[in-house]
Amino acid sequence: MDFALSEEQEMFRGYVRKYLDGAGQTKIAREFAKGNTDGFQAIWTGLADLGCTGITIPEANGGLGLGALDLVPVLEEMGQVLLPGSYLETVAFAVPLLEKYGTEAQKEKYLTEIAAGSRSMTLAWLEPQKGYNPEEISCSARVEGDSLVVDGVKVLVPGGEQADSYVVLVRTDEGLSLVIMDRTNDIEVNAQRCIDETLGLSELTFRQVHILQSQILGPVNQGWSVLQEGLLSLNAALTSVIVGGMEKVIDMSVEYVKIREQFGQPIGRFQALKHRIADMKMELETTRSLSHYANWALESGEADCEAAIYSARTFATEAYINVASHNIQNHGGIGFTEEIDCHLFLKRARFYESYLGSSQHYKEQAALALAW
Amino acid sequence: MDFSFTKKEEQFRQELRTWLEENLPEGWLAGNRELPEDEEEYSAFLRNWQKTLHEGGWAAIAWPKKYGGRDATLMEEIIYQQEMVRVKAPPLVNYVGIHMVAPTLMQIGTEEQKEEYINKILIGEEVWCQGYSEPNAGSDLAAIQTSAVKEGDKWIINGQKVWTSFGHLADRCFLLTRTSHKEKKHQGITVFLLDMKQPGVETLPIVQMDGKKEFNEVYLNDAVAYDADIVGEVDEGWKVTMALLMHERTGIGAQVFTLEQQFEDLVKLTKELHVNDQPLIKDPFVRQKMVDFYTRFRGSLLNYYRHLTKTLKDGHPGAEGSMDKLMVSELTKELFDYAVSVQGHQGVLWKKDALVDSYWQDNFLQSFGMTIGGGTSEILRNTIAERILGLPKDLGR
Ligand SMILES: Cc1cc2nc3c(=O)[nH]c(=O)nc-3n(C[C@H](O)[C@H](O)[C@H](O)COP(=O)(O)OP(=O)(O)OC[C@H]3O[C@@H](n4cnc5c(N)ncnc54)[C@H](O)[C@@H]3O)c2cc1C
Repeated sequence: MDFALSEEQEMFRGYVRKYLDGAGQTKIAREFAKGNTDGFQAIWTGLADLGCTGITIPEANGGLGLGALDLVPVLEEMGQVLLPGSYLETVAFAVPLLEKYGTEAQKEKYLTEIAAGSRSMTLAWLEPQKGYNPEEISCSARVEGDSLVVDGVKVLVPGGEQADSYVVLVRTDEGLSLVIMDRTNDIEVNAQRCIDETLGLSELTFRQVHILQSQILGPVNQGWSVLQEGLLSLNAALTSVIVGGMEKVIDMSVEYVKIREQFGQPIGRFQALKHRIADMKMELETTRSLSHYANWALESGEADCEAAIYSARTFATEAYINVASHNIQNHGGIGFTEEIDCHLFLKRARFYESYLGSSQHYKEQAALALAW
Repeated sequence: MDFSFTKKEEQFRQELRTWLEENLPEGWLAGNRELPEDEEEYSAFLRNWQKTLHEGGWAAIAWPKKYGGRDATLMEEIIYQQEMVRVKAPPLVNYVGIHMVAPTLMQIGTEEQKEEYINKILIGEEVWCQGYSEPNAGSDLAAIQTSAVKEGDKWIINGQKVWTSFGHLADRCFLLTRTSHKEKKHQGITVFLLDMKQPGVETLPIVQMDGKKEFNEVYLNDAVAYDADIVGEVDEGWKVTMALLMHERTGIGAQVFTLEQQFEDLVKLTKELHVNDQPLIKDPFVRQKMVDFYTRFRGSLLNYYRHLTKTLKDGHPGAEGSMDKLMVSELTKELFDYAVSVQGHQGVLWKKDALVDSYWQDNFLQSFGMTIGGGTSEILRNTIAERILGLPKDLGR
């Protein structure tokens, strides 16, 4: 048993951190929120040059041919800077599904371009006023010759405006299917305001959009179970992003309470703060342990992989909100300002908690996975 | 990263399992796990169990071979803990000796001390206790007042210890004394290996909130010790104190394996108990709460593994042991509170009248000691914040 990331993995983390430090850390997200997305596009290219977009993509497609565990430190770094857009959905949802279910042509096109940094992808699942149940999907894809005609609206699509392709859950003749839709002028993309302005959520409207049937990803009418598989890797990866965010939040609190003085002493000496920060640290380390195990269990196909991922996901999302909230309180008045990053982390945490299913939903999933 | 056990490790597990099946007390595996009520019999029973363990080579597997251990790897220790917990093995009467005193002596003791004590600890001939806390020195351990004064070739010891677990059964005590008053209270402390079976030592059991009498007051009236009984140097005992404390906390962290078992027991309980003809575990509130417990105990188990990995790499345990102890003790408290709660209004029934098994009520009560003994949760949070995160130290220390 060896419960640590390897030296190579830590080295990779080092490169990514150095690069993101150079790019100004959360400055990327802040600029993005203001609508200056050029910088973000440049960052994406830079990250691709480092190999970040092709970590798990086979060498034949220009990737590094590594495993899901090698993504972990990189995702943690993305979480530290609140990277906007759909890096998570690209590398931890689209890529694993393409690898497992993609046709040769799909792999050739999409994996190669993702590895090269010229294509990002995202997930378009949810619909306006609807929940997470399969029955609630009304966006449809009707067969017409060798085409599919897609109609409907998708919401809460992360990085929707920047993504080059969407993996869309649609209703087909006898069930649900996943289709890959490339960004074209036929698709109407509108920004959605979100309390986390660093994400770039979008609403997509499809009005009789024609795509080839060969754009179906995985078996037709089996989209729901393919989606669940994708969600497993997406959620495992999400916990890594959260670990990064939590780590940054705790660093912020620790640094601040060491330098801020009141009553003639650093406020970090007051146990109300000291003990709270110790608890935050415990939550972080526990999230990290759960997250590392979840990712390992996924990569090595352990029997408890589902329970591990679902439970890690709920714990992580709840813990993230907790520490991000405490971080604001630990900073006092300045914590409530726009100027300090505290709120950015809280907003991202708030987004993740209900992203792709509530805490309750994932607890129920974990209970089922444990055969309760 | 790799969480699997090797073939060799699994073989080790099998070897231990087979041994336990053949050597546990009569009827133990079948569920007859009552310990004798009578103190003498209780003590004899446990000493006997330790002797059996020793004869099988299972009393102190982590110790070096030259002291009668097995030079077990950390993984083997984990397996050992898991298996002992799985069969709910009888407690180790000489826990303090095996897991705290002996390792400290191996680290810091003189050759004579090693020669004199380590083997007796191993075979269960001498049981040890830890004489740290005093009425006016608990969390603030360095405030101890029990004094040791040199007279001729003897040290004369006077004072009072309190909360001394198993003091009434112990032959020897790892005793903290003050040998001089210096500017800083951490200085001037000396550790003695005290003979408990002498006229100057009196132990009075204290009744605990769970009705047991496991800890004691220990009165020292002109108790005697010698130079040869000093661990480390005179007035330099604080380092020795801390060394033993590290072993204690790491040991309590290993309670996570017990917690694992207790959690599994709780799952069974919620499957067995029914409300409206439905197992409790089917109730959404219960199953979600149980997922919380599952996640947190898995988290503490994995934290423990991660800290072990770090210990292996660094060659010594770090302050992370405080995180393990804090998490496991707090979680255990919550777990048993919940276990009693799911038994409804009859959950308060105790001992022979317990609804299911007094195990739940007993452990509920006992768990309250876990967040106090070995360092309170508050002190552990101080340690985590100061030693791991580098926050400024409390004033007065
Ligand atoms: C089951 C059990 C077994 C024990 N076995 C032994 C044994 O074998 N040998 C032995 O020597 N001792 C033993 N102890 C004693 C134990 O180590 C002490 O009880 C413990 O260290 C706390 O000291 P105290 O009881 O004096 O409480 P106090 O130190 O008076 O603490 C009272 C409260 O004040 C808080 N507090 C104190 N100082 C601070 C601070 N700086 N910051 C924040 N909060 C603070 C504490 O956290 C606690 O909540 C045992 C205790 C128990 C419960």
